Amino acid sequence: MNEAFNEEPLTEPGTASAEQGVVILDGPDGVAITLTPDAAAATGHSLIKAAEIARRQISQPG
Amino acid sequence: MFTERFLRNRRGVRLTSEERAALEAAIVEIRTVGPRTTVIRQGDELTISTLLVEGIMCRYIDDRRGLRQLVAVHVPGDFVDLHAFPLKVLDHDVATLTSATVAIVPHISIEAMIEQRPQIARKLWFSTLLDAAIHRVWLFRLGRLDAVGKVSHFLCETNARLSAIGLSDERRFALGLTQHDLGEICGLTSIHVNRVLRQLREQELCVFRSSMVEILDLPGLQRRAQFDPHYLYLEQEPGGGTP
Repeated sequence: MNEAFNEEPLTEPGTASAEQGVVILDGPDGVAITLTPDAAAATGHSLIKAAEIARRQISQPG
Repeated sequence: MFTERFLRNRRGVRLTSEERAALEAAIVEIRTVGPRTTVIRQGDELTISTLLVEGIMCRYIDDRRGLRQLVAVHVPGDFVDLHAFPLKVLDHDVATLTSATVAIVPHISIEAMIEQRPQIARKLWFSTLLDAAIHRVWLFRLGRLDAVGKVSHFLCETNARLSAIGLSDERRFALGLTQHDLGEICGLTSIHVNRVLRQLREQELCVFRSSMVEILDLPGLQRRAQFDPHYLYLEQEPGGGTP
């Protein structure tokens, strides 16, 4: 297996859209899930919170 | 003849007329099974194998909540449980999706057939290796492709498999599956599948309506699906595929 093709964090965002009263998240990289509006909103908040923590980890390594 | 579609148009393997007659003679019963009927349960001790003659069947595994993942779809000419000949039990359930006609072949007859014609063992083995090749590509599809890619890939694969047995003209075929079934094959909700099918229609790649699939742009659909039919070991590969 080529090292260059090892799994890396994704740099492209997924696309969320509303369809028949649910939220569909497409991509990136094969992600394809359907969430209730409440679950989608909670996931969104959780993602934003985790992204803030990850950014702090980059600026303050160790 | 109930076995005429078994290994039809597969590269590197061909049943002789004598072998086909022997397989035909090994059939002890023809059964008609209604749609959505589980015919083999995980863990059942099996003394027979089942050749699908007409209809569509599947292998599936339910999770603890009863939500189903289809792990294989079978078309006419497939043995749906040849693995059980050496294993004697299956690790999954087998069910019909549409109404189906199946031919029952006792394991004792397969044993005798192999003893009398050792070459047929290699051909039955080929058939289970083909199942394994399809499973590998299903893993790729589920792990790597986006929702449109997953559904497109399944439709390309089914088109190729049905073309090999004369049930698709490489553009149009009957497929008695629901959007819910497609969801259980591709790991998507029915709503997601519904949207994917709309996207395929809007992009003029494929239309799935009233149990009929019409492929409007086969090369385009294959490209979208990253579909390369090499793993199906077909005599002629529909549309040539896109590596």
